[in-house]
Amino acid sequence: MNRLRALAGSAFFAVAFVCAALVAATPARAQAVGASGVMPSPADYWFAGTRLSFARPQYRGGRLAVATDDLGLARFLAKLNATLSYEPGQKYVVVTAGDRRTISFALGDAHVQVAGATQIAGFAPYAAGAVAYLPFADLARALYVDQIPDGDATVLQPQLAALDARQAGRVTILTFRGASPLHFKRSSAEGDDHLMLAFTGISSTLERSRTIAGSAVSGVTIAATGSPRNPTTVVAFDGAPNATYALVPSDSPNAIAIAVAPPGVALAGTPVPAAGDASVATIPLGPAATSASSSAPAPVVAATAPQSGPTPTALGLQPATLTGVELDPSDDGLTVALAIAGPVTYEWHRLSDDRWYVDLKPATLAMDAQDIPTRSAAVQSVRVKGFVGPNDHLPTVRVALSLASPRIVTVFATPNGLALAVDRLDDLAAVRSGTGEVAGGKLVASIVPLPPVVSPITADGGGAPTAAPWKFAPPPAAGTNARLIVIDPGHGGSDPGSQHNGLTEKDLTLDISKRLRALLVERGWLVKMTRDTDVDVFGANASDRDELQARCDVANGAGARLFISVHINSFTSSGLNGTTTYYYKSDSYGLADAVHARLAASLPTVDDGIRKENFYVIHHTTAPAILVETAFLSNPGDAKLLKTDAFLQKVAVGIASGVGDYASPAQPLSSNASAPDGGN
Amino acid sequence: MRTLRAIAGVALLAVIAFVLYRSFHHRARFGDSIAVYYTKIDGRTLAEWNVSLSPDARDAKSVAFYATAQAVAGPPPDTTAVRFPSGTIARSAHVSGSTATVDLGGSLAHERSDGSFAESGEFKALVWTLTALPGIDAVQIEIGGARVPTLPGGHLELDEPLTRSSW
Repeated sequence: MNRLRALAGSAFFAVAFVCAALVAATPARAQAVGASGVMPSPADYWFAGTRLSFARPQYRGGRLAVATDDLGLARFLAKLNATLSYEPGQKYVVVTAGDRRTISFALGDAHVQVAGATQIAGFAPYAAGAVAYLPFADLARALYVDQIPDGDATVLQPQLAALDARQAGRVTILTFRGASPLHFKRSSAEGDDHLMLAFTGISSTLERSRTIAGSAVSGVTIAATGSPRNPTTVVAFDGAPNATYALVPSDSPNAIAIAVAPPGVALAGTPVPAAGDASVATIPLGPAATSASSSAPAPVVAATAPQSGPTPTALGLQPATLTGVELDPSDDGLTVALAIAGPVTYEWHRLSDDRWYVDLKPATLAMDAQDIPTRSAAVQSVRVKGFVGPNDHLPTVRVALSLASPRIVTVFATPNGLALAVDRLDDLAAVRSGTGEVAGGKLVASIVPLPPVVSPITADGGGAPTAAPWKFAPPPAAGTNARLIVIDPGHGGSDPGSQHNGLTEKDLTLDISKRLRALLVERGWLVKMTRDTDVDVFGANASDRDELQARCDVANGAGARLFISVHINSFTSSGLNGTTTYYYKSDSYGLADAVHARLAASLPTVDDGIRKENFYVIHHTTAPAILVETAFLSNPGDAKLLKTDAFLQKVAVGIASGVGDYASPAQPLSSNASAPDGGN
Repeated sequence: MRTLRAIAGVALLAVIAFVLYRSFHHRARFGDSIAVYYTKIDGRTLAEWNVSLSPDARDAKSVAFYATAQAVAGPPPDTTAVRFPSGTIARSAHVSGSTATVDLGGSLAHERSDGSFAESGEFKALVWTLTALPGIDAVQIEIGGARVPTLPGGHLELDEPLTRSSW
């Protein structure tokens, strides 16, 4: 009996020991919020001129915890040009600041990685259901946002937090980085030796003066002025007599780079305007989302393209539904939350009489059209209505705001759809339209495939795209027409391609392609173009796959011997330039090699070589296929060349000569040279 | 004496169970940090930087997501690199067999304004980062929760898993 008792006792202790060990081995879990005592009263946060509220705040030891899906946090991050990556069930939350620093949280771990350095947060972030809760104060600090007491409120004040100086020859380049996109007004006269810039809406944690060991500028003086809620930072450059200043490209709207040159040294860049922002010298990265924080040109939208093709609704794409509108007024602003079910594109415009509207399409309204009272001093009314677009015949929902005065309206995605945040007075009024997409978990790409568009073959390659009954007339096998070359002018119609330096890719590719067609026809080839006007090859509103496959089908269906796609490259940095020829299949290397040799020999651009790349149109064409990126639209030097007929003609001649080196229309079809590495 | 022996035996079993649990839990697959790649401005050369892992977040799924988010964010701001468009986010990551499927969103889901050069460098760095993790050989890209042939207005084919030999 004693023995049994002893065994039972030891077994109990063993089980207890194992349990204790397992508990010790399990990551520390966050304690239930508020369980430790009385929940503190919510802080009265002010940010960017309006009250910032959080829908479901929690507190740990008196410190604010915000949910990763909180609308207030989304607005806070959007204003700072920051993003948040989190997936329910994951253990990491990564916030990327506007200046590209990462702030990495691990659930259950109070250690936070800020741009590679470890900091200790006030509490460990934790999961609660499908969301994670983050220590807000630590997140704000890492994003260069200070918390400034102001009466009963706490002002979340963005800071100018970094100044880098570097020399490029005799030119000094000073880069300022801030918590939020930088806007400035030049308070010195044009041509002054001492440039003075006032950065609005931002304070500074930088030292008040900095000595610069440059030949053009000896230092900068920095002064933070204004009130906690409306800060301004004035930066004065102590330039050499007759020094010149220019804005040079920066890698983020949160950074501004100023180049300073001593007398007699030429300076590239944009002259510092009387007022502006980083976008003056930053290559636009995408559709503008904020009506005044970026001046990125709005991309051409499908509605402006020729409407010859089938509409999304005709193709079976279900319109999204606006299921709800929620207004969240603050003292001098208003947030309008739109609950949207399904994928939708949006396009907003600001009119000159303080009216602002956003159109969602294709979309329908799950409620009656209505005029919603706002109780906001910033917005007089919010009206919602549904209608059919007069040009594109798409079901459209319009949300229109009547603003009390010129205001910044920020559009940002939320987990449920879109939010429109009406903020402080807009003294820039730089941007008046923008577009975007709300994916809602699915892209607007699941369009029912329809027959591709095929142009009839003519001796000169002419003929507008027509909707040939493809499936009733099976195409001949590829490579059956030894004299036929298909030229594919990249982009077109609703897809402009890259747009920089006053140039649009789709126009240039078409220009070069027409020149190339003429040269090849002269040399005895039959030529067919995937497009010879400014149209989408498949048709307007096509999915990316349909559009790209339609280009391949033109070549495959006609039995082309060769396929040449003409493009113009671009990049976010204007420094890159040059000509590149791409191939993917091994049977295409010989063509790429021949064409690139001619281009490299004849063009004044940098030779960027031949590259293997899995680009759709050179993968899915049966004939040997290449894609020529003739130059960089984003590079001022290359752009200058692209503006000349002589250069465009040289490109066409180079490609045609390369084709001539590779094959002749008189030769029968034969095997083609393979890539040196064996390729695919 | 027998009681002591029994206690010692059970304690030994408990220690063995604990050690087995720890080794199963961590699988010893990841160290204190992982390498994240970026493409240099020449569009060809890759370089790497390291990011720390939390001690209790080293399972394959978490690390794949973390690696994706870091690769999308790119290297520190003072590093010149081919970068994903500002505003790109990692939406999810999971690993099935030797293929990691990552879902990206944000500004990447919009029509691109840059060319093929950037696309290639961005995805090359992402694929190199994920395939540097143990057991991952291929990366399937999704955009906004769906498989797509290319990015909107893009060039690089994305509807099949990408591997290091894709370049």
